[in-house]
Amino acid sequence: MDGCIRVRGLTKVYERGAGVAPAVDGIDLDVAPGEIVALLGPNGAGKTTTIDMILGFVAPTSGQVTVFGLTPRATVAAGRVSAVLQTGGLLRDLTVGETAELIASTYPSPPPTGAVLAQAGLDGLSGRKVRACSGGEQQRLRFALALLADPDLLLLDEPTAGMDVEGRRIFWAAMAAEATRGRTIVFATHYLQEAEDFAPRTVLLAGGRIVADGPTDEVRRHAAGRTVRARVTPDRIGAVVDRLAARPDVHTATADADRLVIETANSDAVAALLLSELGGRDLEIEAASLETAFLRLTGTGTGTGAGTSADAGRTEPDQIRGLS
Amino acid sequence: MNLTYYRLELRRIRRDPVTLFFAAGLPAFFYVIFGASPDYGDDPVRDGNVAMWVMIAMAAYGAVTATTSIGGSAALERMQGWGRQLGLTPLPDHGFVRVKAATALTIAAIPIGLIYAIGAASGARAPWPVWVVSAAVLLVGATTFALYGIIVGMAFRSEAAVGAAGGSLVILSFLGNIFIPLGGWQLTVARFTPLYGYVALARRALTGGATLEPNSNRLIPEPLWQPLLNVTVWTVVFATLAVVLVRRGRSRQ
Repeated sequence: MDGCIRVRGLTKVYERGAGVAPAVDGIDLDVAPGEIVALLGPNGAGKTTTIDMILGFVAPTSGQVTVFGLTPRATVAAGRVSAVLQTGGLLRDLTVGETAELIASTYPSPPPTGAVLAQAGLDGLSGRKVRACSGGEQQRLRFALALLADPDLLLLDEPTAGMDVEGRRIFWAAMAAEATRGRTIVFATHYLQEAEDFAPRTVLLAGGRIVADGPTDEVRRHAAGRTVRARVTPDRIGAVVDRLAARPDVHTATADADRLVIETANSDAVAALLLSELGGRDLEIEAASLETAFLRLTGTGTGTGAGTSADAGRTEPDQIRGLS
Repeated sequence: MNLTYYRLELRRIRRDPVTLFFAAGLPAFFYVIFGASPDYGDDPVRDGNVAMWVMIAMAAYGAVTATTSIGGSAALERMQGWGRQLGLTPLPDHGFVRVKAATALTIAAIPIGLIYAIGAASGARAPWPVWVVSAAVLLVGATTFALYGIIVGMAFRSEAAVGAAGGSLVILSFLGNIFIPLGGWQLTVARFTPLYGYVALARRALTGGATLEPNSNRLIPEPLWQPLLNVTVWTVVFATLAVVLVRRGRSRQ
């Protein structure tokens, strides 16, 4: 099968002063035509850098990217890929309609600009200056510009950043319509909800690496674990931690004096074991919020800053790969 | 060339009267004050007159103001994300450069056309080939200053800096023998400044290759290689700096 995106061993290192931190650290990724994939990860996970390399804006330090079997720049020149970028990029003194007209003029046979503006929910705003548009309207204009390419592959870099709830609703409704036309869509987001609502497949990025890649509901089920807390007499606690940590449904088990904290996908079984065999008391079970679980999954939950997240990310993949 | 883009570029400039005021309105005003009105305007310069000499100078100032402004704003636009937006389209870099170069030439033609028209109506005098040749040299030579605008835009990354680059042309015009005829040591210094060669070549059809000595109104001969060398050296300097800055901007992305 002719793949849409094929990424092998992709690495990008930005050299900033003395410190050298890989923004992307060895990514392998295949996306088939027609797929809708969420690239989920916190800020600094390498989402934007990955998208920039798929578009050919940034040259990889090592590794390969092909899109429809071509180099990224050749695919862009052929009008087969387009994108909604995160920042800037519009001429504020043009109107919405003029901006669309200008971008359309770079393609050999673009769809009618009026129809595309309507698709992006910009009907009636054609005569408005870009500088007078809200953030959400500007973002929908970027979306319309991407549609003028009539692309087979659409990349979206945090497309709803800065939008209000209503703006998001309109945006994702327009995206859903595009998806039914058979376009391949890859979007970066740090909202787990957006991945759940829209993408059948989620690729989880942290510290420049892929930490999970699979059906979104599996990634979510894994992410939506529970936290079990209990007290155990201090002389037994070491053995209890070892016993729990060995279970495949336990993500982490930690102890502090006589307090035990267990992150698990199966809180019922862990609670039963604690209360029967292991002599646990004062049991509490708490559903981890999706955000908390997501932060734990991507290795930033225990970190206090960007510096530790990259290190934590490096230890995570082995634990999580098996689930995906 | 992408004509839609070119047409929209012209529309953007029409909407921004400030650029056109500094590029066309102000030098036209200068010409009326310093060229058309004074008594010395009809003093002879070879087969023409001093008004013609001033007219070419003011058109030169207007033309380079236009190209500097367009070069500078093109550099800023590309850095402020429009370059990435265009990078998503099949429009190649040289396609963008062509559109901007055509825009710069068109806008540079406005002060030249306007000031020449006012000159023709108000007493600038020279044989017709002088009008044609000087206008052509003004138009072609002004492109060098689009590079000057690009350099300032890339180096300082702000609209204020590009505005200041336009202002700096006033100083370079004084130093370049444009606004007032220089003599003595001032003329010696002027020969090394960026606008000197440009305007000297544009005036050459009128002066026959000589500079006007301000005290005596006499023409002092000047060999052709001097203004040619000036233009060549400054074009190479600007082009080199522009290439270095554009490369630096790319590697920073």
